[in-house]
Amino acid sequence: MSRILHWALPAALFAATLLVGAEAFAADDIEQKAQICAGCHGADGVPINNTTPVIWGQDEGYIYLQLRDFKKGARKNPLMEPIAAQLEKADMFALAAYFKKKAWPNLGQPSAPGDVAAKAESAAKSIGCRGCHLDHFQGDGSTARLAGQWQPYLLNTMLAFRDGSRGNNPGMSDLMKATPEDDFEPLSKYLAGLQIDQYLGHGR
Amino acid sequence: MGSCKTAATIVGALALSLAGSTLALAGDETETAATTLTREAPVPSVSQEQLSGAATDTNNFLHTNGNYDQTRYYQGKQINKSNVSKLRPAWIFQTEVKESLETTPIVVDGVMYVTTSFNHVYAIDAKTGEQFWHYKHKMGPVTTYCCGPNNRGVAIYKDKVYMGTLDAKLVALDAKTGSLIWETQLADPELGYSETMAPTAVDGKILIGTNGGEYGIRGFVRAYDAETGKQVWNFHTTPEDSTGVWATHDATGKDMHRDIAAEKAALKKMGDPYKTLGGGVWQNPAVDLKTKRIYFVVGNPSPDLDGSIRPGDNLYTDSLVSLDLDTGKYACHFQYIAHDVWDLDSVSPPILVDVKDKDGKTVPGVIHAGKTGNVYVHNRDDCSLIRFSEAMVDQTGMWTLPTAEGAPMLPGANGGVEWSVMAANPDLGLTYAVNLHQPMTYHVENSPYPGGKLWLGGAFKIIPGSEQFGNVTAVDYNTGKIKWQKKTPLPMMGGVLATAGGLVYTGEGDGWFRAYDAENGDVLWSFFAGAGVNAPAAAYSVDGKEYIVVGAGGNTQIDFKRGNNIIAFTAD
Repeated sequence: MSRILHWALPAALFAATLLVGAEAFAADDIEQKAQICAGCHGADGVPINNTTPVIWGQDEGYIYLQLRDFKKGARKNPLMEPIAAQLEKADMFALAAYFKKKAWPNLGQPSAPGDVAAKAESAAKSIGCRGCHLDHFQGDGSTARLAGQWQPYLLNTMLAFRDGSRGNNPGMSDLMKATPEDDFEPLSKYLAGLQIDQYLGHGR
Repeated sequence: MGSCKTAATIVGALALSLAGSTLALAGDETETAATTLTREAPVPSVSQEQLSGAATDTNNFLHTNGNYDQTRYYQGKQINKSNVSKLRPAWIFQTEVKESLETTPIVVDGVMYVTTSFNHVYAIDAKTGEQFWHYKHKMGPVTTYCCGPNNRGVAIYKDKVYMGTLDAKLVALDAKTGSLIWETQLADPELGYSETMAPTAVDGKILIGTNGGEYGIRGFVRAYDAETGKQVWNFHTTPEDSTGVWATHDATGKDMHRDIAAEKAALKKMGDPYKTLGGGVWQNPAVDLKTKRIYFVVGNPSPDLDGSIRPGDNLYTDSLVSLDLDTGKYACHFQYIAHDVWDLDSVSPPILVDVKDKDGKTVPGVIHAGKTGNVYVHNRDDCSLIRFSEAMVDQTGMWTLPTAEGAPMLPGANGGVEWSVMAANPDLGLTYAVNLHQPMTYHVENSPYPGGKLWLGGAFKIIPGSEQFGNVTAVDYNTGKIKWQKKTPLPMMGGVLATAGGLVYTGEGDGWFRAYDAENGDVLWSFFAGAGVNAPAAAYSVDGKEYIVVGAGGNTQIDFKRGNNIIAFTAD
């Protein structure tokens, strides 16, 4: 229910921007193509609401795969599906590379208090979150950065994987189903409050 | 797949980039797009003869597992039981990448090659720890890997070093300069393929398998031409008829509680699942130079925990497999767990040693340590099982079927023995393995093939608050008896090096690196490295002085403290 309400506001905005979007994607300039994204994900990288994910600085392969999945309908979203439908594979890779290079915004979310962090750590260790999302939850390649993402978005996403409404990663769905329900709130708060700028830049 | 850029194309492109965009850095360094060259590595061409004789070559460490038999038994005795207490760092090299480190250093005439997570390669002076060059792989945007951005090292042959990459390429670098000579795309990373294993160089071929058993790949082992990067042969680890013999018990005789009737009905309905059946190969094959056969183990079926959509034995997952080296043709196999639904598969690389058969006759053998926590001893001729060892870990509840709510069983899904390499001391008839004890619950869920996304068919969960630990175990492979076992505070992952100095070296996740008495397991020396020592050690000599070298970078898979150190030790 709450997720439907969260979509209501940007939906109106998007009814308008979709028309603009059709023209934008006809142009070659990647900056221009990215403008449509700014409508919801923020012109400065800060999304217009906390149920819309940060994509500035997000991992490149992950952004590409989400756009691919929106286009083929594997991931459902009434706003993203029509936008992705206009994109070719090259556009998706170009947009992914463009946003990966942007600096992840500081959303100013608080660090989780000790007891919340401890519960989240225990939950993360239990299903091995860092095995894919890595040491600082920075993600890599096809795996999303979670650190510093909006807390409500993280919570909604974990629950959506769990109930299958987000259906484009059955492995994540299985892991969320194996996680007790009262772990999700601490996990989302802990991940949202992580500041990891000092750890970025290793590796790739 | 299999698109292959020719050597000429790449060399041409590199020549242009060198002419056009070489940057002058501070000092004497030069940098191309991928390689920072401080100075050329004074490394000779490595012949097949040298590679074949590696087992007795105490100057060099030419293979990831020491030699083609993969014994990881270094024959130098300069560092031994009497002086190991004097072991101290000769140098510490810090890589640029502070992330999971599983590399085995390769050493040739005083030049060392190490790799890091994200496919960096360093050439280092093995005597001083100074850098010759640093290659940073230009990674494609899509990488799909389950257990960390790991790399386990390079292979060397003639004037090139070879590495597999997370974006599923095989690259060949100039051993002197680190320049890219060729690269070959092995498979599509978008479909779940990636490379973390070190390749094996033999007879002008580069042998490599693939990761991806958690993503519904079709596994393979392939040979590529060392000069050109062109494919020589391919062996699919999941044959078109993967059903097998409908085995109801595992290699040790335990009932796996299969519902064969239900599986047969499913097979009739959905057909053979071989195309998305997994069967990754994570570690190097052993090479029998006499018979020209290779021996490797194949990992779990996809999806890991849900057997309902992959009826049959799921050949050749969870198996030892032998092929003809020249052609890649099947020779024999032995499956440990048919229709595995626990991911207790086969990862630790096989070792070739002579073993006593059931009649006490010495025969060419091959041994492997499973995630089950057993060491399996085979006849090399037909892959048949001669014996299996006593369990090195608690196997309470084996084989309890996974449930939706989660069913507890030991060992947990990391083993037993994970990818960790064993070392064998043929003089003592002992093989040394490192194990984990991690109580887990096994959960099953059903979902169709997701096209390259994570596909576990459920989850394995560490039971919060449960006690975890590990052990180092010496097994007599001629009897199957445990000779000695030492408990460690943390689960063990990495591997073992044995030496003719009567020592066994292995590291722990909290940062300890220790030398054990090979005969009784007494700890004779310890060093605290500050980050998890989860890489296998190597040994070599320069100017008559013996060194032990190991990486301390922690581990992603079981989340041990990360670091970025390569540490070489001497005993003076």
